[in-house]
Amino acid sequence: MTPLLSLRGIGKSYGAVVAVRDVDLDVFAGEVVALCGDNGAGKSSLIKVISGAEDASSGTMHLRGVKVVFASPHDALAQGVATIYQDLALAPRLSIAQNVFMGSELTRTLGLPFLRVLDKRRMEAESRRYLAQLSVGVTDMRRPVERLSGGQRQAVAISRALRWNAEIIVMDEPTAALGVKETAQVLDLIRALKAGGRTILLISHNMRDVVALADRVVIMGAGRKYVDRPLGDLTADDLTHLIMAGNGRAG
Amino acid sequence: MKNGRWYQSVFSAPARIDLRGFIGQYGTALAGLALIAFFLAFAPNFASTANIVNVLKDTSFLAILALGFTLAFTVAELDLSVAEIASLAAVVCGWFVQQKYPPALAVSAALAVGLVLGALNGFGVTVLRVPSLIMTLGTGAIARGFAFMITQGVAFVGRWPTEFTGLARGTSFGVPNLVLWLAAVTAATLALVKCTRTGAHMLATGEAEEAARLAGIATARMKRIGLLLAGLLSAVTAVLLAANLSSAAPNMAGDYLLYAIAAVLLGMTVFEPGRPNIPGTVFAALVLKVLGNGLVLLGAQYYVQDIVLGVIIITSVAFSASALKKAAFKV
Repeated sequence: MTPLLSLRGIGKSYGAVVAVRDVDLDVFAGEVVALCGDNGAGKSSLIKVISGAEDASSGTMHLRGVKVVFASPHDALAQGVATIYQDLALAPRLSIAQNVFMGSELTRTLGLPFLRVLDKRRMEAESRRYLAQLSVGVTDMRRPVERLSGGQRQAVAISRALRWNAEIIVMDEPTAALGVKETAQVLDLIRALKAGGRTILLISHNMRDVVALADRVVIMGAGRKYVDRPLGDLTADDLTHLIMAGNGRAG
Repeated sequence: MKNGRWYQSVFSAPARIDLRGFIGQYGTALAGLALIAFFLAFAPNFASTANIVNVLKDTSFLAILALGFTLAFTVAELDLSVAEIASLAAVVCGWFVQQKYPPALAVSAALAVGLVLGALNGFGVTVLRVPSLIMTLGTGAIARGFAFMITQGVAFVGRWPTEFTGLARGTSFGVPNLVLWLAAVTAATLALVKCTRTGAHMLATGEAEEAARLAGIATARMKRIGLLLAGLLSAVTAVLLAANLSSAAPNMAGDYLLYAIAAVLLGMTVFEPGRPNIPGTVFAALVLKVLGNGLVLLGAQYYVQDIVLGVIIITSVAFSASALKKAAFKV
């Protein structure tokens, strides 16, 4: 089976500092892969390469078997890889619909082909549909995002990925800074995405989230990947021990 | 119907009438209406047709200039050069009229001045990465220098052709042309910001530049468009000022800068609180002109207006806390 996303020998250096060393990683369609590791393990740098935010210093990336180089996060998005950043990259005072369709607004013609205006009604209807897919019960698509809960904001950010029909959704610490109830909401969002056939690369420090969601776990330390295995019957404590072991190796 | 009840679009707070929200959104508008009512009752001649037409015409210059500032502010950039660009554009326009060139050429030259300097601001802010506060101060100084160079410090005055002066002085369908120009500019800017993709991208750029960039919006281009349109509207104001006065002086729009800033900031406290918005700017320009006119009619000294203007600028910024404010006033 061809992996949906395949990394070979990816490296990333910032001057003399080597953040990622020679990482191979395969992500198959429909699975939730958790990317774990302590601070400085190289997760964020690897994600920046996958999301198109930064170029790899070495190595190659294949999407659906085809070699790709992402020029920007938007380029990655257009090719089906959406990254949901920790700060969600939303405009708090703009409406839900404006955020979901930011940068890719729908328009309709006013009789003449060059007279195109925003199709607000359709954008609101589609935003409502995306949120409903995620089982989020917000109906007023004109509500500013700043008036939503943390979990609902996460849903708006995910809806933008759905709007692009992204196959791979990279989520950077989606439950950091959320309360217990909202964390549960976000876990449900991710389950809904998985049930909808999306592939998820989840970066998390929260091992309980990882155990609750992941099919496979990848652990990095000192820029290298040293664990890549199905979650199986690993517990949160087991994962913590694996990460600590990696730190020992790094030292 | 569960969604889209009438009050949901009127009030930002969904599904209930919220008094604080109402005052936040419409407080300034109510205060403005109260002000007008006050002058109607107490200022002699305020309600006369001649005075009202006068106030409306005066509002037009200010509002059109301030709408340019609003567009620049929408992309979170300050344009402090609008008044000086207007003065230079007026002088260039006046020179062409004075030399008996066709008015269409004079108007085109003025608009070109506005576009070139607006483009220069955009280049400086997005390519040279000079903060807009500094860039536009510089452009304003350059414009002022050229305006004095062209006129040698003396205003162009003359009996100018009515096809030129009629742009500002005449009436159409019984409405002063100036008021029609304002209506047209208001409608065009409102359509741009509310109904087009470019407008949506400008809003996103101003509200959350990094998020907009990650969403694939060409944020630098949006900033250049905002500053370019600010320059263009400065030139439109210049043409109307010159046509109305049959003259062009190198400092003729200088006084408008502070008023334009006050109109935009006061406008940010109404309709869409915390965000530069077009109806707010036009309404605030009207309020400022009514205030100035009413104070004069009540016999207030000339300096009272300046004091009131300063108070309005400070209080409107103090009361409209927004991320945009912080973003735009950074140096």
